Amino acid sequence: MDDLLARFLPQFVTLAKTRITVAITGVGQRDAASVQKTVRELHTLAGEAGLLGLSQVVPLARDCEQKAKNLHSSPTSTDVDVLVAALHELEQLIEGISQRMGGANTS
Amino acid sequence: MALLNSGRLIVRAEISTENETVVSCAYDLTSTSVFVVTEWHAAVGTPVRLRLSFPRILEPTNLTARVGDIRLPGEPGEPGGVRLVFDTEQVAAGAASAAGDGEPVAQRLESLLDRVASPIPNAVTEDRPCRVLLVDDSLLTRDMFAYGTSKFFERPGALAIDHAEDAEHAWGKLASSTYDLVIIDYFLPSEDGASLIARLRRDRRLADTPVVAISVGGRDAREATLSAGADLFVDKPLVFRDLFNTLRMLAEHREYARPTPDRKAILVFDDSPFALALTRAALEKAGFKVAIADDLSSFERQRVAFDPDLILVDVQMPEAFGDDVASTLRGWHGVQVPILLVSSLDQSELARRAQRAQASGYVCKGAGMPELVRRCRELLEAP
Repeated sequence: MDDLLARFLPQFVTLAKTRITVAITGVGQRDAASVQKTVRELHTLAGEAGLLGLSQVVPLARDCEQKAKNLHSSPTSTDVDVLVAALHELEQLIEGISQRMGGANTS
Repeated sequence: MALLNSGRLIVRAEISTENETVVSCAYDLTSTSVFVVTEWHAAVGTPVRLRLSFPRILEPTNLTARVGDIRLPGEPGEPGGVRLVFDTEQVAAGAASAAGDGEPVAQRLESLLDRVASPIPNAVTEDRPCRVLLVDDSLLTRDMFAYGTSKFFERPGALAIDHAEDAEHAWGKLASSTYDLVIIDYFLPSEDGASLIARLRRDRRLADTPVVAISVGGRDAREATLSAGADLFVDKPLVFRDLFNTLRMLAEHREYARPTPDRKAILVFDDSPFALALTRAALEKAGFKVAIADDLSSFERQRVAFDPDLILVDVQMPEAFGDDVASTLRGWHGVQVPILLVSSLDQSELARRAQRAQASGYVCKGAGMPELVRRCRELLEAP
């Protein structure tokens, strides 16, 4: 599967960064529709990472997805801050993988 | 290597960027660049990965390239698209081909260009004529094709063209004859061209036949026919010269025609274009025929046209839950083929949904592509 990983990793990294940006924006807005969109983006990201074999990414993405789901019920500022921090951690993890695997240009 | 200015050849082109993969046709192939017909545009200089291929003519060849020029649609025969300039270092360095046979890219392109530029060989006129089936209900297209071939191929009888005006007649001819190329219009009466292509690909004897789809239907027709298994899609109005060069190359390579083993067909339904592209690449590499759908209407169309041996369905999609789709397929449509739910949901949740929907099983996306391929093999290749 290495050739598939090499072929699809750059596309994944770009997509994942976009999804995380959308998620962070959605969390900031806090309305039900934005939170739902955040949940969907993170769920999709987890699935795409899983199919690509990025096993380190999946649990963190799923943790973020769960944290986003929890925002549906009266979220506090702390809940939001914790999720945003986790999203930044997820972004850094993906960036690190990108740099380790072939030095893909993700700027 | 001679630069090719006039001998145009149509081949399949797949452009991949970090965001998407676009399948179209390409012509004006030279040693340094190729023109790809597409609505896809990117800034000049944008790097892309490019895969060129056509059955029996050009083995899948991977290149890196940059957008060199953008052309808007002009007169008939001047479609819009982008000229992609090859990474010369890669070509010169002789990157391995996609087929893994080690043949350098430069050598492969040079050989192809030399063959296009050379006089029409005797091989075309010896043995038996190159046989083409044109499936089109337009009398004008059929007449133009016949006229064009008589001008392009100097010796009468070098090319034998059969016509069929609808899918049923075409199927009758395909059942009783062998063709070197089948050209199929998308808009046919009764059964559309995509459905005919899917039938052809499912047939053990016909599955390896090169198929060119043609239509005025633009993007929808292109996606439907390519998903059904067409090697190439060419927009009407046709520039016959380009198609004839491809035809001529096919005629030269008839000796390479060989039956392919019966490949099982898998339909993948997921709302993520990335997941679809990745899954398709992995399953095709594993030897399966694959069609994809990213919404319900596309899925239903593909299910009927492609007649899959296995259906993979994502669970959480905007239009529907995959387990509801599976349940509907079983309960309302009487679908008997295996259905696998594919999701990043918890395993226990996924198992529960699969059982309730009468699916054949499930695969957690987190298990990765090797596990997905293994499950497909398990379901389709069991004795």
